[in-house]
Amino acid sequence: MPRSSRNAVLALALLAPAFACGSGAGGSDAGAPELEPSVLPDAISISDPADPIRDIELVEDLTEEVADRLLDLGVELQRRDFVKAREWFAPDFAGTVVDPLVSTREAALHLGANLTAFDVGSGAIAGRLGFLESFERLLGPYARVELALWKVKGAEFERDGRSGKIHLYLHVIADTDAGGREDLAGWAWAGVEKRKGNWFLVRFALESLERTRLERRAFRDISAAAGVGHLGIRYGKPGNTSDAWNGAAAGDVDGDGLFDIFVPSGGRNLLYRARADGRFDEEAEARGVAGPGGGTGTVFFDFDNDGDQDLFVAHRAWRVGDKWKGETLHLYANDGQGHFTDVTAAVGLDVHRYGMSVTAFDYDLDGFVDLFVTGYGRAATEHNDAWLEATNGAPNSLFRNLGGERFEDVAGELGMAGTKWTYASAAADYDADGDLDLYVVNDYGSNELWRNEGDGTFKEVAEQLGVVDQGQGMGAAWGDLDGDGRLDLYVANMSSTAGNRILERLRESLPAGDFERLKKFAAGNSIFLASPEGGFRRQERAAGGVGANWAWSVALNDFDLDACLDVFCVNGFVTGDLAHDT
Amino acid sequence: MGSASYVTRHSTQMFEEGRSFSGNERFKLFFGVGDAVFEDHSALGGADSNLDGRAILAVDFDDDGDEDLFIHNIQRERHLLFENLLGGRGNGFLKLRLRATAGQYEAIGATVTVKAGGRSVAQVLSRGAGFASCQAPELVFGLGAAESATVSVAWPGGFREDFGEVRAGARLLLVEGVGKPEPFAARTRSLPDPLPEGLAVRVGERVPVLRLVDGDGVETEVDVRALADGRPILVNLWGRFCAPCIAELPTLARIHADGERRVLLLGTDAPSGRAAAANVLAKRAPGIPAYYLRAGGEGLEPLVDLVRLPIPTTLVLDAEGVVREIIRGPVEPE
Repeated sequence: MPRSSRNAVLALALLAPAFACGSGAGGSDAGAPELEPSVLPDAISISDPADPIRDIELVEDLTEEVADRLLDLGVELQRRDFVKAREWFAPDFAGTVVDPLVSTREAALHLGANLTAFDVGSGAIAGRLGFLESFERLLGPYARVELALWKVKGAEFERDGRSGKIHLYLHVIADTDAGGREDLAGWAWAGVEKRKGNWFLVRFALESLERTRLERRAFRDISAAAGVGHLGIRYGKPGNTSDAWNGAAAGDVDGDGLFDIFVPSGGRNLLYRARADGRFDEEAEARGVAGPGGGTGTVFFDFDNDGDQDLFVAHRAWRVGDKWKGETLHLYANDGQGHFTDVTAAVGLDVHRYGMSVTAFDYDLDGFVDLFVTGYGRAATEHNDAWLEATNGAPNSLFRNLGGERFEDVAGELGMAGTKWTYASAAADYDADGDLDLYVVNDYGSNELWRNEGDGTFKEVAEQLGVVDQGQGMGAAWGDLDGDGRLDLYVANMSSTAGNRILERLRESLPAGDFERLKKFAAGNSIFLASPEGGFRRQERAAGGVGANWAWSVALNDFDLDACLDVFCVNGFVTGDLAHDT
Repeated sequence: MGSASYVTRHSTQMFEEGRSFSGNERFKLFFGVGDAVFEDHSALGGADSNLDGRAILAVDFDDDGDEDLFIHNIQRERHLLFENLLGGRGNGFLKLRLRATAGQYEAIGATVTVKAGGRSVAQVLSRGAGFASCQAPELVFGLGAAESATVSVAWPGGFREDFGEVRAGARLLLVEGVGKPEPFAARTRSLPDPLPEGLAVRVGERVPVLRLVDGDGVETEVDVRALADGRPILVNLWGRFCAPCIAELPTLARIHADGERRVLLLGTDAPSGRAAAANVLAKRAPGIPAYYLRAGGEGLEPLVDLVRLPIPTTLVLDAEGVVREIIRGPVEPE
């Protein structure tokens, strides 16, 4: 495992990480007596390291060791193997129990959910057996424990690398017997020590604990029963290693009034046609859209105005020498019955782009729908040339629809063929002047708001209107989030535990401005509320709705039909088989 | 940048090894409660998963007036369909489709504003937003407790049009320039019930021969039909860590002792917990056949998905080993 350079540390703080592959997990404290400490302390004290390690790579190596070890503990607790879980606790462990605790606050939440906050000081102090018994009391009554996470959010270690103080986020999600759901979330400090080559918990002090409970679920998973339970191979295994992040599109392909689903996919695409009985049949092959696979963004729209839904699929292509690898873009014409013909070459879309997301909109109001295709970069061959403002991505494209017969890329002449690493775009008439504007979301950089000038051109006004949102942008959507009739903007960004943790370590050594700008890169999503004066203001984080981890797509819909738009956001970069994470 | 190849190589290696990188993150559901303030219901809502999502389709697939969620993930269970259960709990809806006449007929980018019960919401008919996600060509508005709402459209091209007051529960086509909505027919369909959570068998299917270990740790084949011995048999999945499971053991013991039906206990405890489990059984359910998973948690795959199985769960089998009933939660005392 090569040691990273200081540049890489900064890089990894924002993106890829994992300084150590060494496993801190496994093993057991064999020979440890099954005894509680004979004398428990009156209070749990976990002091800061007297002489802490300052070297960021070294401290991150140790942090990852402890983090991996405690993720494994979470797996045992999720399994409710409280005997096995003893192996994570030193025989002389002492900590505050997690149950029973006195509740300090009850609150009614939306949809009949309720919240209980606990007085963490009301818990007794116990040794490891008593502590684990308290966990058993907490988790035992549930019908199913879906998650029992111990996540290290911060850590400092003594110079000798054998003891440390860590900050933990605890999260339990469980089903109750009555079909309800509970969410327990808390923070804790812990003291850890390395003994016989392995990390053990020696002290634990709960900092906060809240429980929320909902008796009736809002959604239920019907994937397999509905016929869309397609299984894919794990990411990282041969056949699933690329950055062709597939999108999805909904549309009524055969005019039967039911919405079907198209999903570009590695290998071959999938078209789930809706049946009247509530299930879906996969018919990509029979309907002519099975291949080529590996597409990214996709849209249904009527490119030739013949009354049916045609299908566009973006693909990734890149140059190797003087040749193109990958796929061209693809357009499939619908015959009106839901069968498709590949018309890519006939309409001039047999061009190579490193496409990700697609937005269909009639930007010039000529009665034919145009296509904006975002261009990302091929990180496998050339990484971003900067973290704050990368410019070596693939160009964006705006394909003007010429009467439903040809498409012509006009992004260059309109000044919109920028080479930032563009993941997504979203169109709306934010300024209510009758033409459609376009927000463009960039990874490793500033976003763009292209105001439609109404004469077939655009002007970039993101800075002027306060929606630059420099960071690692993944997605965006328009919707009236505050109910004032104006369209607000939601931007999905990357946020990473490791990134935030490492940046905090760099706080002292970075120029003040750089720290704040870098911190924004790992800060998560943004909400920009349209103001009556025409600009936007950032909604306070305390208003909620933006902490979504490493977010990708976002949907703004009124799921509970209460006349307020809600936010649904998918997230996660790559989840492996192991609990170990970065 | 010097770190590029390092990052790429390292990422590839870590994913091959099965490590996670910002993995096990759970989808987020924030309910708006007014003025762009949100409440986090991610874990409670039931539309959360630790898989790595990329695309979202929020579409009313069953046309029951609320929007369901289709998610595209990068691996494993690549597609998830979550049925929205919030419709029908008292809040009204309005479903709108658009047809432009001055510009392209699909009216992509039109802004629709609905006012109901003192609240106002505007939505855009988009085709391609979020990340690589294309929504269906209709908009669903919630009306809360209001029985009617007013609707207006800002069409691409600039024409603003009021469509007047409409009733909750309406499905309406708004045609540019007409000024009056046209109802369109519902295509309501029932989405299927989910497969029993955590179970690999359904009612009507036969339980296969299982390979498990007995209380002494000896691996053995367990034929449920042989154990049934011509009588119905209750196969109970339990764990020592599970308080409701322990609470129902005396009920199961009585059923077994009555002799008209048999009981088989399948313990989900890891090996380190079995001694304690055996103690519990000796006290609360002596004499009932009891088996456990093989090392590594194997042996019950033809029957259950242990990761997803809520316990206690009891399968009621006939004498032929065919599942006749699935009891989720404790068996009711008779």
